[in-house]
Amino acid sequence: MSDCCPGSKTMDFSEKDEQGDDETGARQSQLKQWPIQLHLVSPQAPYFQEKDILLAADCVPFTLADFHKDHLKGKSLAIGCPKLDSDQEVYVDKIAALIDDSKINTLTVMIMQVPCCMGLSQIAKSGAEKATRKIPVKQVVVGVEGGKVLSEEWL
Amino acid sequence: MENILNTDIRAVIDQCPEVGRILEEYGIGCAPCSVGSCLVSDVVGIHGLDPQTEATLMYKIEKVVYPDRDVPEPKVDLSKIVPKEINYSPAVKNLVDEHVLIKRLLALIPTITDFVEKSETVDKDLVMSCIDFIRGYADKFHHMKEEDILFKYVDEQSEIIKIMYEDHVTGRNHVKNVVEGAENGNKAQIKEHLHGYRDLLTQHIKKEDEILYPWIERQMSDQQIGELFQRCSAADASVGEELPKKYEKFIIELEEKFAKEN
Repeated sequence: MSDCCPGSKTMDFSEKDEQGDDETGARQSQLKQWPIQLHLVSPQAPYFQEKDILLAADCVPFTLADFHKDHLKGKSLAIGCPKLDSDQEVYVDKIAALIDDSKINTLTVMIMQVPCCMGLSQIAKSGAEKATRKIPVKQVVVGVEGGKVLSEEWL
Repeated sequence: MENILNTDIRAVIDQCPEVGRILEEYGIGCAPCSVGSCLVSDVVGIHGLDPQTEATLMYKIEKVVYPDRDVPEPKVDLSKIVPKEINYSPAVKNLVDEHVLIKRLLALIPTITDFVEKSETVDKDLVMSCIDFIRGYADKFHHMKEEDILFKYVDEQSEIIKIMYEDHVTGRNHVKNVVEGAENGNKAQIKEHLHGYRDLLTQHIKKEDEILYPWIERQMSDQQIGELFQRCSAADASVGEELPKKYEKFIIELEEKFAKEN
């Protein structure tokens, strides 16, 4: 039984067996842009033009060991936290501008399996509804423990 | 109950602290959260509780929030729980939705052929209006998006795609025969081939919805899903909004006509 909000509950996974400490060599980053924070990016930036966009909750990349290879590769990135970030109406406008002005191809929103993270999906949906153009929007939910993708669905 | 579902969890717990205790009982620890902006529906939904557990939890919450209300005990018929729906991308979802209108015509076919059989002479306008739907909506509007766009994303030589193409050709042959029957006033020919079309398309649509479309989508990248959506949207725009509306109106009128006849 939990004793606090799953979004801020203290959990320690360090005793788990599969630590993957036999990995060798350097992995290549799949990040092809800067900045990445949603307040800092310009929706008209060249790296967004007609691209597939990944909107990830701040915690997601730390949870998935293969985030770069499996999720970021081939996409442009924006990150944000629906629980702690301020002025989130700006986020909605930026998503709408990405769709209408930069003519992005798809939007994938990746969130953690905590209720507060659903807010980021809501931001993505609101932005998509506000936009004149229509594009496919996908939601990917990541488990807090074990770093696994729990569900993927087109909204 | 709808009100609670769309309320911030903090507001609900502030109004009724017992809700926090109930959530805790189910492993949902919202009570100590200082933000509490999650909606109750999200808080419950994301935990993926089984239907019985979720219904019991909501029942307990409703009981404490509305103590004066006569809240019925939750009864979930486990035998009626359907497996999770297939999640199609938007472009493919549109194709699945188009199947629904086609299936409404298929459902009317036995009634239509009965009517034709019982009529003194063949109602050629009725038969040809159904053929116009099949040709204009099912074949030109719908099947062409499959053949010209969707099927191009997979190996068109694969067995399942070949079967789909064969079904489209067989369907067109049935249509040709129905037209011939209408021209010659041949009721048996009309019946045989409208029923043939119905049987073929019923199976064809089932195969596409449950097997083919999910199979194709599993092979597509997000980039291709986005491209598919734009190409299908452009194809829809090229025929205009009026065409699907015209055929939906036709089906509604046909359903009404035969509802009155019966």
